[in-house]
Amino acid sequence: MKLKGKSRAEIAMLLLPGLLIFGTFTIYPIVRLFWMSFCGWDFGSFLKQEFIGLSNYREVVTDGYFRTAFANTLAYTAVTVPAQMLLGLFVAMLIHSLPRGQIGFRVAYYLPVITSWVICSLVFRYVFNTEGLLNYFLTQVVHAAPQNIRWLDSRWGGMSVAMLLGIWKGIGWNMVVFLAALQTVPRELYESASLDGAGAWKKFVYVTLPGIRGTLLFALVMLTIGGFNVYTSTKLITDGKPGHETEVVLTWMYYKAFSTGKFGYAAALSFIIALVLAVLAVLQFRLMREKT
Amino acid sequence: MKRMRQAANIGSRKWMMLLAGAILAAGVAVVVLPMVYMISTALKPNGALYEYPPRFFPSRQEITLENFRYILGQKKFITNFFNSAVVSVTTVLGSAAVASALAFCIARFRFPGRTFLFSFIILTMIIPGTTMIVPQYELAVRLRAVNRLWGLIPFYIAWVIPYSTFMIKGFVESVPKELDEATYIDGGGVLTVYRHVILPLSKPGIASVSIFNFLTAWEEFPWANTVINDDAKRTLPIAISGFFGQHQFTQWGYVFALSVLSLIPILAVFLSCQRFFVEGLTAGSVKG
Amino acid sequence: MRREKIKKIPALLLASAIGLAATAGCGSSAPAGSETAARSEESAKESEKKTETGTGTPEEAAEEPAGTVTISFWHHYSAQSEENKTLTEILIPEFEKENPGIQVNAVSHEWADLHDKLLISARSDTLPDVARLDSAWVPEFQKMGILVPLNQEIDGFEEAADALLESAMSTAAIGGDQYGLALNTNTKILYYNKEAFEKAGLAVPETMEDFAAACRALAGANENGQQVWGYDEPALSGWNLCPFIWSMGGALTDETQTKATGYINSPETVAAIEMLAELYQENAITGWNSGDIPMTDGFGTGRYMMLLEGPWKVAELAGAYPDFAYGTAAVPAGKDGSVSVLGGEDIAMFRTANRDAAWKFMTFMTGAYAQEEMAKCGQIPCNKEALRSDTVKNADFAPYIEQLKTAKSRPTVAAWSEIDTELATAVTAVVNGEKTAQEAMDELAPKVDQLLSE
Repeated sequence: MKLKGKSRAEIAMLLLPGLLIFGTFTIYPIVRLFWMSFCGWDFGSFLKQEFIGLSNYREVVTDGYFRTAFANTLAYTAVTVPAQMLLGLFVAMLIHSLPRGQIGFRVAYYLPVITSWVICSLVFRYVFNTEGLLNYFLTQVVHAAPQNIRWLDSRWGGMSVAMLLGIWKGIGWNMVVFLAALQTVPRELYESASLDGAGAWKKFVYVTLPGIRGTLLFALVMLTIGGFNVYTSTKLITDGKPGHETEVVLTWMYYKAFSTGKFGYAAALSFIIALVLAVLAVLQFRLMREKT
Repeated sequence: MKRMRQAANIGSRKWMMLLAGAILAAGVAVVVLPMVYMISTALKPNGALYEYPPRFFPSRQEITLENFRYILGQKKFITNFFNSAVVSVTTVLGSAAVASALAFCIARFRFPGRTFLFSFIILTMIIPGTTMIVPQYELAVRLRAVNRLWGLIPFYIAWVIPYSTFMIKGFVESVPKELDEATYIDGGGVLTVYRHVILPLSKPGIASVSIFNFLTAWEEFPWANTVINDDAKRTLPIAISGFFGQHQFTQWGYVFALSVLSLIPILAVFLSCQRFFVEGLTAGSVKG
Repeated sequence: MRREKIKKIPALLLASAIGLAATAGCGSSAPAGSETAARSEESAKESEKKTETGTGTPEEAAEEPAGTVTISFWHHYSAQSEENKTLTEILIPEFEKENPGIQVNAVSHEWADLHDKLLISARSDTLPDVARLDSAWVPEFQKMGILVPLNQEIDGFEEAADALLESAMSTAAIGGDQYGLALNTNTKILYYNKEAFEKAGLAVPETMEDFAAACRALAGANENGQQVWGYDEPALSGWNLCPFIWSMGGALTDETQTKATGYINSPETVAAIEMLAELYQENAITGWNSGDIPMTDGFGTGRYMMLLEGPWKVAELAGAYPDFAYGTAAVPAGKDGSVSVLGGEDIAMFRTANRDAAWKFMTFMTGAYAQEEMAKCGQIPCNKEALRSDTVKNADFAPYIEQLKTAKSRPTVAAWSEIDTELATAVTAVVNGEKTAQEAMDELAPKVDQLLSE
């Protein structure tokens, strides 16, 4: 359509507020982030920075704590993403097979998603406390453990609780997304597969999975981003203890910036994470496309 | 013969459905268990925290509303509640207006920098919001938005713009272009189309995105925790986490009573709009 | 339709990645840069103006009606504590009554949060007017240049200082200048569970050997089969470790606080850490893990048998576990005697403060009335008059006053917070059996040397 002068002005009017806010509060900080990652700060004002080249990046990649935090984040993502997707898909398929009561289950499974991270993290911390209910249940009721398990006190113990929380909280989102996708797979495909004598597993592999491929990919990318975005849960459950062993990249970034004042370090770290995620997202799209 | 197989099929399908229902019900139990525990702890007296043996439910005599009474009796928690409400509602309204306008323009017009803008929107969906906290903090300092309640809002709107625009754009694209054309022929301008065609017809999309945005603003923790200092300006998540002191004993009863109260608005919003919610959530993945 | 859309996304991603690189490249010179410069100039000007005229921060000036000044006071009295209640319900109303036209906005932060918030606020010109500072932080903030040297710039300083204990005032003195007023002093003494000691037929430990033996003897299982521990230590930082290190003859640095090698890894320091690590590995002590019972709850419910704690614990225990019977004693002695760690807080004003109002509030908080009120919830006064009051005499601070005579302060260096973190991390590795105490301390020593030299 041809745009007249007046239309142009109107389009500009519509775009302006969005561009202004998005530009000021998102794009500008991203650009600043990049710049800050080459800057150093002396004691004194936050607003005075000097260019110091690549030394922040050098400091990040040679930092043992960062490597621990990065490994923890990778592990968190590698565990929670497939687990959420599998369980979410499983629940979605079960709900999909029901003739009635879909809405009730949908709401129930979605409850953890709408509960805030702060609250969920506190509940998990309380339940997994060494003196908490879960340990009592395990040691005194079902006698599955001889003594209290110290869930929160070790690196992988603390990370596991955070992972469990991530999975528990994520099932609902995956369920809803997959449920919608399942509804778009034509029923005739299943019927003709049945006529060909395909069993449940074969139908799943040859009809369901290809039918929801796009959604799987969407979920994979979104959840990977979510995995790298983990912050509140580890912060509130273990706060990096013991000895910064349960930090994830964002809690470590936050600690360096706001507890020690190393903003350049934090900016460089943030930028590395953003790059890693961009590359991962592209790779995931590529991989998925090649597979099918 | 064929009919027999069909009958057997129906029988086994019924059985399968029962099984599915049973598994789902068991799953629900696991999923809601922590929430139930939270509520039951909120109903226990604070002193029963390290009771022995620990109990899932408080006993009948033990049940008390004392924790809720304490929370509701503290003016500062009411203020926190109010702060969260103001910030969330403003974020929802602001982002709905801004994102729908962006989505409409991107979906319908070719203007210079359109592809670039949309690319950036996708890109910012990929970068975790928290990674930008350092430059955003610096920006907040320069804008003198530190320790101001309103200082949260533009940042929240900016955070939810990418996702909201992306989702609403899907809805706008599903509105037939002929409707736009008809309005133009009737002499309407771009703004008329936006207000009288696009906005009403993509309402479900905007509504669903808004629920999501409400949740985002309502539960946001790291940014509010960084920017807000005063008690009177804190939002709910900060107030809840504020019960923890390293060497202090934590009053879990209060923590969970406040948590339960803070869930009520979310639940109300979610239950009343859950139809939209599911629709909107899946728009990006399926509808496109 | 759907598939097409999805195929487009990777292309978009790449495009945006390239786009990002392009914008980022010109970011430093583009409009963003100049905007920044203009804004920071403006804010610099504004902060100059602030210091000159000495009025409150601009936002407060704008919000309050003319004639009223609001000063911000940040502290780390816990939000739910008696101290906070006294502050907000008794002291501030009294202050505002005595000083019409001045309002106090008191903000409670968690201890570690307060340090971080001050650090970040200092760098962004958003400091409060007055803060209650852990005396261990004073050197760090002094080095940042944000504290007002009271003796040089405030009239009436001498008079206010004379009313306070010299020893406590020394925690805020650096290089001959005074950067705060002593607000309260404290140290830690031994708390023990009376019933448990009687039952076990144990004497209250007087030496470190007795202490270790008591920890082992008291640990085990209670009648419910729950694990109990002889001693609880809620963290592994300097505040927690120093009484053991010092009493057992160790040190963190030399006398001049410039060198850690040979001190932080000396045989005595290592022995103290080894003792704690062994006790922990034998399940005789605990407390610093995320999953552990919090200190007051664990002690009050008979799960921890001993603590080293400050005077505030009395009020806390009375509030949460009023029927619980406990006793107190001096820190167990090692080869250097019974040496506890000196705590305490100073009240200081920042360069951006409204000096007039801030100073009034500081003198009020260190005055006899406020100090006596705070003594009622376990804060040991620094005001000489308050120390002579009946409240203090009846408050049973005696064991603390005794312990204070030998208590030492943690290194008064600017890098203390960072040293403290490194120390905690190193000792965590030791107690978890990842390193021997000697290894960990040998690794730590050069790091601390480095931090001391910065």
